[in-house]
Amino acid sequence: MTTETVSLRAVEKVFPNGVRGLAPVDLSVRRGELITLIGPSGCGKSTLLKLIANLHAPSTGSVSWWGGNFSSVGTEGRRLSFVFQDPTLMPWSNVATNVRLPLDLDGVPRVEAEARVMPALEQVGLSHAAGRFPAQLSGGMRMRVSIARALVTKPDLLLMDEPFGALDEFTRNKLDEDMAELCKRDGLTTIFVTHSLYEAAFLSSRVIVMAAGPGRIHAEYLIEPSMPRDENFRLSDEFSRICRDLNALLTEVSHLNGQKESA
Amino acid sequence: MMKSSRLFTVAAPVAVGTLFLLVWQIICRVWAIPPYLMPAPTDIGASLITNGPVLLHALRSTLLVTLIALGVSVVVGILIAFLLVQSRLIERSLMPYVIILQVTPIVAIAPLIIILVKTTLMALVICATLIAIFPIISNTLQGLRSVDPGLESFFRMHKASRLQLLLRLRIPTAIPMFMAGLRISSGLALVGAVVAEFVAGTGGNSAGLAYEILQSGFQMDIPRMFAALALITLAGLALFAATAILEQLILRRWHEHG
Ligand SMILES: Nc1ncnc2c1ncn2[C@@H]1O[C@H](COP(=O)(O)OP(=O)(O)OP(=O)(O)O)[C@@H](O)[C@H]1O
Ligand SMILES: [Mg+2]
Repeated sequence: MTTETVSLRAVEKVFPNGVRGLAPVDLSVRRGELITLIGPSGCGKSTLLKLIANLHAPSTGSVSWWGGNFSSVGTEGRRLSFVFQDPTLMPWSNVATNVRLPLDLDGVPRVEAEARVMPALEQVGLSHAAGRFPAQLSGGMRMRVSIARALVTKPDLLLMDEPFGALDEFTRNKLDEDMAELCKRDGLTTIFVTHSLYEAAFLSSRVIVMAAGPGRIHAEYLIEPSMPRDENFRLSDEFSRICRDLNALLTEVSHLNGQKESA
Repeated sequence: MMKSSRLFTVAAPVAVGTLFLLVWQIICRVWAIPPYLMPAPTDIGASLITNGPVLLHALRSTLLVTLIALGVSVVVGILIAFLLVQSRLIERSLMPYVIILQVTPIVAIAPLIIILVKTTLMALVICATLIAIFPIISNTLQGLRSVDPGLESFFRMHKASRLQLLLRLRIPTAIPMFMAGLRISSGLALVGAVVAEFVAGTGGNSAGLAYEILQSGFQMDIPRMFAALALITLAGLALFAATAILEQLILRRWHEHG
């Protein structure tokens, strides 16, 4: 219980329209883990993340946060942040105000909230853009604002839904490196959804491979977390081996799908 | 590049307008059309100067009705939109009446309003408001509804209160749609004011531009009629420009790129 951040027990999600988004899933996330969820489109990755963020209620089964229910989430030591697939910034507010939003909603006094905005922007390398508006930023910058907005609350659990999916590979690699460093330095527990097996291989200490129809966990793949996640890691034999293994798992998953569809 | 394109947006319509007036003037002079049939632009200009004080007074009356009606439309329209967005039930029960208000030609009920309401100014304002209010209601309503679902999730995740949702999400989201509604309404308020004046036919101290047009018609003073019409058009253009500038000032930073 002490190291468990979030755990799902037999959590199933059937949508009101009858679509079974997720078959019963068990998952337990320990403190300091960086977990990636990977799998074909429609396998329930976003659904799983939204269940963890309490944006969906499970149809059956239960989710617990730090051993309790959601009402205690948001208090000291139990903060949760979500980075959506789109930046979802407020176009009418500048970068600083956008980043400050979660603090305002949580009732943090204005002076303290303002003092915390700059360090968060520095973490994502955007301290120079505090006064700009979302429409004046590039896609990558907007995404970084969104990440700063998630970090400003000093979260204990960070959920990210394909945050870099829309970015070019170079920017994405750079942001992945920043993410890896940040999570390591702050001991941040992170659940990260991605379509890219390279991203999963680079970032995670545990990869959850999911299958579709209905969404479920197919396999788990552990990666030694102590390895330094930098440019050299990307070029190492170890990295190639991990990518090959993940690729094999993903191929398996897609064949499962193919069988289901032809049956 | 920027500068020259801005120059064109002013210069091109001005050139077209000048050409139009010029052709109009030439036709009137060459065929010697009498001013009571079709006055030349110079006749209208002369009338504008000789009747200046009376026409400007009338313009003031019409603008007063227009601006009060626009103000009332904004305040009441926003209140109604907020009321409608509160619950599906409220919307279901009230929306039909908002639509009835919109589809009923106000010209047809204007005489009734003018009979029922004692003060002329009040009657005129009510008519103009009834014509101008609908775009404010419908645009504000749609704006309040068009909240980004992702942002709404974010607010919900942080356990935002109803008030926080309203002030920090719904209202800012609604502003662009509201501004578009305001631009339409400002034009409609002027139309409403003029229509109401026509129906009321009030002269005397509170005579508006519509009255001047009616009077000019009776007296066959067609240049004066055109002069009053020109003032109405100018007032409409000024209102349109004012709301467009306001819109630009408020929304400038939302849409800026680069
Ligand atoms: N609100 C909803 N109502 C009904 N069905 C839904 C809803 N949200 C998701 N689904 C369905 O649930 C399944 C899983 O969707 P989900 O968005 O979790 O997939 P995903 O793994 O995130 O896919 P992608 O990689 O394309 O983002 C899909 O079949 C989808 O159609
Ligand atoms: Mg998804």
